[in-house]
Amino acid sequence: MEFLKIDKVVKKYGEATVIGGVSLAARQGEFVVFVGPSGCGKSTLMRLVAGLDDVSGGRIHIDGVDVTEVQPAARGVSMVFQSYALYPHMNVRENMSFGLKMIKTPAAEIYQRVSEAAAILKLDDLLARKPKELSGGQRQRVAIGRAIVRKPKLFLFDEPLSNLDAELRGEMRVEIARLHQALGVTMVYVTHDQVEAMTLADRIVVLRAGQVEQIGSPAELYDRPVNTFVAGFIGSPKMNFLATRVAGVEANRLQLAHPAFANGDLTLPVRDAPAVRLGDTVTLGLRPEHLSLGGGSPLALAVQSEYVENLGGASQLYARSADGAPIIVHTPGRLAAARGETLMLSAAPEHAYLFDAEGHAI
Amino acid sequence: MSARLLGRGLHLLGLAALLAFTLFPFYWMVSSSLKDQTDLLASPPVWTFVPTLSHYAEIWADEKVFGAVVNSLIVASSTTLLAVLLGTPAAYSLARFQFRGKKDLWFWFISNRMISPIVLALPVYLLAQGAGLLDTHLVLILIYLSFCLPIVVWICTDQFRSIPPDLEQAARLDNANQWDIFWRIYVPLGLPGIAVSAIFSFIFSWNELLYALVLTRSDVQTAPVIATSYMSGYELPWGKIMATGTVIVLPVTVFALFVSRHMVRGLTMGASK
Repeated sequence: MEFLKIDKVVKKYGEATVIGGVSLAARQGEFVVFVGPSGCGKSTLMRLVAGLDDVSGGRIHIDGVDVTEVQPAARGVSMVFQSYALYPHMNVRENMSFGLKMIKTPAAEIYQRVSEAAAILKLDDLLARKPKELSGGQRQRVAIGRAIVRKPKLFLFDEPLSNLDAELRGEMRVEIARLHQALGVTMVYVTHDQVEAMTLADRIVVLRAGQVEQIGSPAELYDRPVNTFVAGFIGSPKMNFLATRVAGVEANRLQLAHPAFANGDLTLPVRDAPAVRLGDTVTLGLRPEHLSLGGGSPLALAVQSEYVENLGGASQLYARSADGAPIIVHTPGRLAAARGETLMLSAAPEHAYLFDAEGHAI
Repeated sequence: MSARLLGRGLHLLGLAALLAFTLFPFYWMVSSSLKDQTDLLASPPVWTFVPTLSHYAEIWADEKVFGAVVNSLIVASSTTLLAVLLGTPAAYSLARFQFRGKKDLWFWFISNRMISPIVLALPVYLLAQGAGLLDTHLVLILIYLSFCLPIVVWICTDQFRSIPPDLEQAARLDNANQWDIFWRIYVPLGLPGIAVSAIFSFIFSWNELLYALVLTRSDVQTAPVIATSYMSGYELPWGKIMATGTVIVLPVTVFALFVSRHMVRGLTMGASK
C-alpha cells in the first residue's frame, strides 16, 4: 500500500516551472530522501507535500486520502525546517506544546507528551530555556521534538543538518536514523548531501531541474545509475569520467579507444548488444574507490599525478589523464607519488560504468 | 592606541555637546518654572536661586490646566490605542500577503505624511463643522489617527518583515490559524516596533498644536493649547507658562520611559540558524 503518493505534480511560479510533473510513492514506514543540487526543486516538492505551497497540477495522497486541497495542519504532517523555525519568544516546553495547544489538547496530556518527547531527545534539562540560549544541535533537537509531540503520520525534514558543524551533523544523522527505527513513521528527508542520502535512506529520489532522474535504494543508485548525472551525484568523491571513442562493437563486448589506455584501446564486456555504432562517443565511468595503483587488469589507464591527500587511513590521489580529464583515486593506506609522475591505474572490468553520448547508461 | 583614545574622547565630546543641546531647553523650562518673577526676568540670567513652587500652585488652582491635561490624555491615549489596533493588522498584511494594489496602498500610507498639516487645516475645519464635530475629543482623535496610522503601519510593516517567514509556516503546520499567527507570533516578536510606533503616536498626539487650536473652542482644549493661551495680553507670565510646559512634558516622558524597555531589538535572535 502506498502511504505517500505524489502523482504528476507540477509547480509553476509564473512562467517558470519548478517541478515538472513528478510522480513517486513511499510505503508506510519508509525513509525517503530527496536529493539533488541546489535549485533542483527538492525543497519545493517537500513544501508541496506539507501544503505550504499549492500545486499547479497533479495530486498528492497521504495515507489513502487526497490531501491536494487540504490545509497543512490537517494533513497530519510535521516538518523540521532548515532554519529550525523555533518561536524565539517561547521556551523549549512552550515551543513543543504550541501545536497541541492550538488543537486544544488538555494541559495534562500536553505536559506528558512534551515530557516524553523531551526524554527521547535528551532535552529534559533544557525545557525552561529560550531558543537563543541553546546550541545549534540542541535547537535542532527541539525542532525535532516539536515535530514528534504532534504524533504525525508523516515526518518532513528540510535539510535539517545543513547548519551544523561536521561532527554534530554525523551525530544527528545517527540520531535521526535511530528515531526512524523507534517511531516507525514514514519520513521524507531533503538534502543536497549525498552522504546523508546514502546513509539514511531506504529509497533515494534524485532530482534535477524539477524532474526525477532516478528512484531507488542507495545500493541501486550506486551500482546502476541510469545516467551520468546520477552516477556523478551519488558517491564521494565523485565518479571519474573519460570520454572514449567506440573502436569496435560485438554482441556483448565493446572496444573503446582513449589515449590513456595501455594500448590506446581496451575491450569491455557489456550485458546486451549495445546500441552504439563505431566512432560514437561513450563515457567510461570509474569510481575513485574502485581504482587502484598498478597495471595488470585488462582495464588499465595511465595518468599523471598532481597531488596526494593523506586522510590517515586512506589516501586520495588527484591526477589527470592524457586528454586532461581529472581522475581521483581513493585508496586505503598511504600513497606516495611525485607531482608529474606517470602512474598506471587499474580497475576490475565489472566496475566500469558506460554511458552513451546523451549520458544514458548502456 | 593614542589615536583610538583621542577618537573615543572626541566621540564622547560630540555626544556630550549633542546631549547639552537637546537637554538645555528642558533644564531651562524646569528651572524657570521654579524661579520667582524677579529671578525669571533677571539679566544676565541667574543660575542659583531659591526654588519656589508658587507657579505650580497657581496652575494647580487653575481648573483649565488640569482639564486640558485630562483632555490631552484622552485624545493621545485613544489615538495611540486605535492607531496600534488598526495599524498592526494592516502592517501584517502588507508585510506578508500579496494582493492587488499593495504598492499603491503602501504609497498612500506614506503620502499621508508628505502633506503639510496646515494645507489641510481649512478643509478639515469645514468638514468637522459640517459634521458637527467641532470642539469634541472625537474630531481630534480622528485627525490624529490619520497622521499616526501611517507611522504605525510603516514601522510595524518593517518590523514584521524582519520576522522569518519559516516561523509563520511552522505555526501553520502547528494548527495555528491566521489570527493565532498574528497574535501569538507576530505581535510578541514585533513588540519593539509596536512600542516605538506607539511612542511616536502618543508624542505626536500629545504635542500637536495646530489642529487642536483650529478645531477646539473651550470644552476640549488640549494642554499645548492652554500653554500657548497664556501668551496673549500685555504681560507674559513666564513662570506659569514654564510650569505648564513641565506638567505637559511629564506624562509623555513617563510613558516613553515605560515603553522604552520594549524598544530593545534583538527579540527575534535565536529564531533560526
